Amino acid sequence: MARARKVFFRRRKVCKFCADKIDYIDYKDVKLLQQFIPERSKILPRRISGTCANHQRPLQQAIKRARHLALIPFTTD
Amino acid sequence: MRTYELMFVVDPRVSDEDVVTMTQDYKNMITTSGAQITSEENWGRRKLAYPIDKLNEGKYVLLYVSSETGKSSLPEVEHRMRQNDKILRYLTVRTDEDLKRAARRQPAGGRTGAPGAGEPGTTDGGGGDVEPEEEV
Repeated sequence: MARARKVFFRRRKVCKFCADKIDYIDYKDVKLLQQFIPERSKILPRRISGTCANHQRPLQQAIKRARHLALIPFTTD
Repeated sequence: MRTYELMFVVDPRVSDEDVVTMTQDYKNMITTSGAQITSEENWGRRKLAYPIDKLNEGKYVLLYVSSETGKSSLPEVEHRMRQNDKILRYLTVRTDEDLKRAARRQPAGGRTGAPGAGEPGTTDGGGGDVEPEEEV
């Protein structure tokens, strides 16, 4: 929709963790982490999700911890 | 004071009673070294996100450890877990620093993130739903 022409306005992305005031990103919170791993199970880039740098870093850490414990997949084949 | 979370995944073929005795062993190791177990969670059988050793399920156990002196036998516990082939995965995380940082940010309320970087996006966020605080 917004991507078609430059004239269309783009919805401003807000960092989910800033908006919801989540300060500690828990690796056990699979439901939360799942929102940041799309189909191929890659970590969703900031560019797409709008997460701020201060939250993307712990998010990335949490996802990697959850992967190690097989809570979320490394990849989907 | 230091707090840790110790989570491990046990082979699902191990019976529940054996998991409990195994956990008790590790807990004893921790408590004899002067640290405390603040709480314990048993998630039970859970599907793994990917197969480990051709197994598709695992039993998850989670221990919360706190140590007043900073001394704990966690390295020894990890060493034992590495040698125990009934344990598929384990992870120890030190949580006190991150939780303290999160607690410090909480009372700041409206102003989030770095000072100086004026962020107008927080006020018109319109996030009416308040996410329940994760259990820690």
